[in-house]
Amino acid sequence: MKTMDDRRAQFDAECRSAGLTLGARDYDLLYDMWLDWLPERDRLRATMPEPEDEPWR
Amino acid sequence: MAVNVADLDLRGVSEGLGRRELSSVEATEAYLRRIATHDGVLRAYITVTGDTALAQAKEADTEIGRGRRRGPLHGVPIALKDLIAVAGVKMTSGSQVLADHVPARDAFITRRLKDAGAVLLGKLAMHEWAFGRPVTDGPFPTGRNPWDVRRAPAGSSSGSAVAAAAGLCAGALGSDTGGSIRGPAAMTGLVGHKPTYGLVSRSGVLALSWSLDHVGPMTRGVWDSAVMLQAIAGADPDDTSTRHATTQDYVQHLEDGARGLRLGLLKRYYVDFPGLNDEVRGAALTAFDALRKEGATIEDVDAPSLDLALAAWAPIMSEAYEYHAETIRKTPEKFREGLRTRIYLSALFTAQDVQRAQRLRARIGREVDALLSRVDALIFPGQAAPALKFEDFPTTGFAPASIRYTAPWNLLGLPAAVVPCGFSREGLPVSIQIVGRRFDDATVLRIARAYERVTDWHRRRPDPARWTL
Repeated sequence: MKTMDDRRAQFDAECRSAGLTLGARDYDLLYDMWLDWLPERDRLRATMPEPEDEPWR
Repeated sequence: MAVNVADLDLRGVSEGLGRRELSSVEATEAYLRRIATHDGVLRAYITVTGDTALAQAKEADTEIGRGRRRGPLHGVPIALKDLIAVAGVKMTSGSQVLADHVPARDAFITRRLKDAGAVLLGKLAMHEWAFGRPVTDGPFPTGRNPWDVRRAPAGSSSGSAVAAAAGLCAGALGSDTGGSIRGPAAMTGLVGHKPTYGLVSRSGVLALSWSLDHVGPMTRGVWDSAVMLQAIAGADPDDTSTRHATTQDYVQHLEDGARGLRLGLLKRYYVDFPGLNDEVRGAALTAFDALRKEGATIEDVDAPSLDLALAAWAPIMSEAYEYHAETIRKTPEKFREGLRTRIYLSALFTAQDVQRAQRLRARIGREVDALLSRVDALIFPGQAAPALKFEDFPTTGFAPASIRYTAPWNLLGLPAAVVPCGFSREGLPVSIQIVGRRFDDATVLRIARAYERVTDWHRRRPDPARWTL
């Protein structure tokens, strides 16, 4: 189970990787939104596609 | 002129023009007066093109007077969301970035509407770049819901909903990337139709997320939406997504009723969803009973992979990050903070997330297509809850309960329409939604009309006496 410090470190790493440079207000808002959306993203990453699930065209 | 134009739906205006009981100039003047009287409170319009509209109306009256009526939209005053280009008219997308932008060319669909003889009253308010949140300040405030001006009409096509519901135009066009036609239409008691992806051209329409964006009508009645769709549907060489566009006659079968149709109720995912408002659930179930009485067969159906729809939708919305990345890096101050945060969130998905989402999108599509091989259309409540007060909208994030009812159908590109099915105890409109097979928009509209014609919800009008602050 990840602690909030782990989460914060993960978020900072993702922002760096994406090249985002944020002011304090944007940083706080984005962190809250990222946390809110994390369960959906985790669900996406935990779902293994089937071989026939080719990308949508 | 004995009729009160503002009380009419688009069909009423069109038929009044056809019978010569009303001229296009009279109708246009009536809408312009109503805009002048009420738009200070309702805030539906960003730009009103009164002089041009009156010139178009005079031309329409001349042609109609000579017995050359082009079709049902000829002479009918309508308005467009402010991300659809009209040559020579400011197009802002509700953004400081485009505050002074004037396109040189009409969008393909603008040309289609002009060819049909429609009169363009102006450009309508919207959430910033179709992705922001409702706001009450700044140069581009969100329209106010005419059923309760303390409430937002949702978005992003807020002005389109307000103008059509309040009688500030006969019909409007909106756009829908995660629910921006159907949400505001549901909140204001309108019919809102998100056409099949690839049926209506997006060239000359500002993008939010290319593979999720749709443009469609928002009107008081189903017939109204059908004739607007008829005018704008069809292939456009400048939008490759329309190369397989298959058009139908959207009016011909509107009165065929529900008898013999098989409808699939997405009960588990939508009706049983704990976040669904009880009044919406009750009104929707009553509406489905009405369709059953009209001769439709209704069975419960399910597509389990719909549970993945929102998880797949969000990474694909990273198309919006690609669209805005350069501008937001150079001029972040020109984006309001709620929108900035949403766009930045899109940057935090990885390439694998996006491809995973595209693969799950295909899976959901296969499951839903299988359902639609057994039934003619899917039905479910049109929204999670009635309209919210401005201050109750989340500051930054998405509202998952709300987009659950709409975004999966952007993901799959299937035709989807909301139609009003009642009012909450507080007097706020509620709706049902109908989703059909790809390029079978006609059946969606037929089902919507089959319900509409046995109810009178679409005839109710908000009271202008309550449009005060």
